[in-house]
Amino acid sequence: MATPSFEVTRTIQATTLVVRGSLDINTAPALSEEIDKIVATKPARVVCDLSALDLIDSSGVGALVKLYKNVRAHGGKLELKGVRDQPLAIFKLLRMDKVFDL
Amino acid sequence: MAETIRLIVPGILRYRAVAVRVVAEAARLVSNSSQRDPDDPLSTDVRDPFDTAVVSAFMEIFNNIAIHAYQRSGGGTIEIAIYPKDRDLTIEVKDHGHAFDLDQVAPLPEVDEDALPEGGMGIHIAKTMLDEMTYEPGPPNVWRLTKRLPVGRKAAS
Repeated sequence: MATPSFEVTRTIQATTLVVRGSLDINTAPALSEEIDKIVATKPARVVCDLSALDLIDSSGVGALVKLYKNVRAHGGKLELKGVRDQPLAIFKLLRMDKVFDL
Repeated sequence: MAETIRLIVPGILRYRAVAVRVVAEAARLVSNSSQRDPDDPLSTDVRDPFDTAVVSAFMEIFNNIAIHAYQRSGGGTIEIAIYPKDRDLTIEVKDHGHAFDLDQVAPLPEVDEDALPEGGMGIHIAKTMLDEMTYEPGPPNVWRLTKRLPVGRKAAS
């Protein structure tokens, strides 16, 4: 199993969150803590790069939905980038692909 | 093929990755898929649609057992029997925890960008990904998950 990891970088243009490996019921709580830190800065634009994300489950989707809701609550915008393979299939199944413009 | 793969793991989430790896490889036996990360051939990166469906469904059922049947406290095992055949894969998953009430699972609501769900999607994912999914409350509780290769797709030899 690929090691899950998160990386956050901030520029004037956007806050970028890179998620790697597996985002699931075991790793989503750690991402949720990272999301709280991101949202606390009230970013105008968050880019979530999922090009290195191999697997996601419903808990992982829930964490990204939390990010989406909290960024929007402060008037910001979330963009998901690079979604592929199994994670893309899950977003399509849940019909969230259009919400996230995948 | 008429072989069976059996695996018994503790009913806690920490062991899910072990089971997922075995299930992913079993799915590849049927799909004959060589699609995987070329830089990390041992990863559980699944790219084939058949493998994706099997792994996605299994992950949700494992989560359900660890959370609902064993209530995150372990105390029991998850017994997994995988039956790979020429054109389909059936996975039988048994636990000895609390029975789950499938009827309590609400259908997935219409997508509303102002009210996206943060939970309650797991069983829906499993059911939609599979061709058949049954659950018999026990003890033991038994999930049976079946996925078939689509018509026209070449089976593994």
